[in-house]
Amino acid sequence: MNSVFKVSFAALAVAMGTMAVQPALAHHSSAGFSEDSRVVSGTVKEFQFRNPHSWIQVNVTDASGKVTEWSVEWGSPNQLGREGIRPSTFPTGAQVKIRLRPELTGAPIGIFVGAKMSDGKTVGKWSEE
Amino acid sequence: MTTKSWATGIALCASFVTAPATSYAQTPAMTPFDKLPDWSGTWAMMGGTVFDRATQTGQGGSITPGVREHPPYTAEYEKKYAEHLKLRDEDRYPDVQTNCGVPAGFPRILNLPDAYEFVVRPDVFYVIAENGGNTMRVYTDGRKLPGKEDTWGTYTGVSVGHWEGDTLVWETVGLKGDRDNDSILDRTGLVLSNESKITTRMHKINGETLEAKMVIEDSKALTKPWTVTKQFRKDKPGLFLYDYGCAENNRNPVDPATGKTHTLGSDGKLIK
Repeated sequence: MNSVFKVSFAALAVAMGTMAVQPALAHHSSAGFSEDSRVVSGTVKEFQFRNPHSWIQVNVTDASGKVTEWSVEWGSPNQLGREGIRPSTFPTGAQVKIRLRPELTGAPIGIFVGAKMSDGKTVGKWSEE
Repeated sequence: MTTKSWATGIALCASFVTAPATSYAQTPAMTPFDKLPDWSGTWAMMGGTVFDRATQTGQGGSITPGVREHPPYTAEYEKKYAEHLKLRDEDRYPDVQTNCGVPAGFPRILNLPDAYEFVVRPDVFYVIAENGGNTMRVYTDGRKLPGKEDTWGTYTGVSVGHWEGDTLVWETVGLKGDRDNDSILDRTGLVLSNESKITTRMHKINGETLEAKMVIEDSKALTKPWTVTKQFRKDKPGLFLYDYGCAENNRNPVDPATGKTHTLGSDGKLIK
C-alpha cells in the first residue's frame, strides 16, 4: 500500500545548500510539484540513465489490480554517475519503494527523493517517515 | 640519399619540432606556459544555480517559487524580471534550454551544474562546461575586442583577456541579452540587454577554489554596475567527464501556447 509522508523541506533545502552543486532537476519550475513527498511501491519497468535527466519507470499495482506506470525524474547521468549511481542501480523487474514529490495535477509523475530496494539497500535521501 | 638532402630533411624536421613554440612566441602579449597558473583538473560550481546569491531573498533554489535576486535593474528591466518571476511561480517560465538547441551563453556558463574544465593556454582560455555542453573562448593572444560594427549579438559574446599575475582578466561584449527571449542568467528569469558588457577577474583563492568576479555593466538594464561572484571547487582527481546530449531523452516539451512544461511517458506520449 502506498504511504504518504511529510518531510521537512526546510531541512532538505539546508541539506541541499551544503552540496557543491544543486542537483539538475526538471527544465521547469518546482511549482507544479507537491512539497510533501510520498512513497510508491512497485516494480521497475525501466531505468532511463540518459541526459538531460534520468527517469525511473515504475509499475505500481493498486488494491484493485490496476497497474499505473509512474515516471520518476532524477538528475543527469553525468552527475549521478560521479555519485556512484549506475544503470544497474535500478534493474528491470526489481521491487522498489520510491519516495518522490508528486506532480500536483495527480498525474503519475514525480521528482525522485530516495528509494529502498527489496534487499534493504537505500539510494538517495531515503527515510521511512 | 645525398648529404645535402639529409641536411635539408633534418632542417625540416627541426622546424616541425619547434613550430608550436614558435607560434606561441609570435605575440609578446602572451604569457608563456611556464608562467601560467595550474587550473587543471575538473571543477564544480559551488552553491547552486541562483546566479547572485548575495542578493537572494526567499528560501530555496532558482526554480523555487518566491526566490528572487536584486540586481540594480532599471524600472523597465525590474518590470520584466517581475513578469518572469510570476511565470516561474506559476510553472510557466520554462528554461530556455528546454528546447535543447541554444547555448547557455555568458554569464550563465559560469552558473551551471555538473562539471567544468578551465583550460589555460598562452593564446586562449577555454571554459568547458559539461552541462549543455557549453564552451566559452577568451582570447589572450594580445588581440583587441572587435569594434561595434564588427560585433553582433551572440549567446556567449566575444571575449579578450590578459593575465595580471595569476589572475585572468577578461572583457566580454557582443552579448545578445534578452533580444530574442532565449538567453537567461538563471531559472528565476534574470536577463540582461544587448548593451551588456562584463569584466571578469578569475583566480585561485586557495588550492581547491577558483573564484570568478564579474562586474556587469548594462546601460539599458542596470542603473549601476552589478558585481556577482561565482566560485568553483576542485573535484577529486580522476573523474571522467561525459557528453551531455540534451536532446537525447528530453521528456519535457514546452507548450508554446501556455508556456507549461509537459512530461512525456516512456512511450513518448504525453502523460495526463
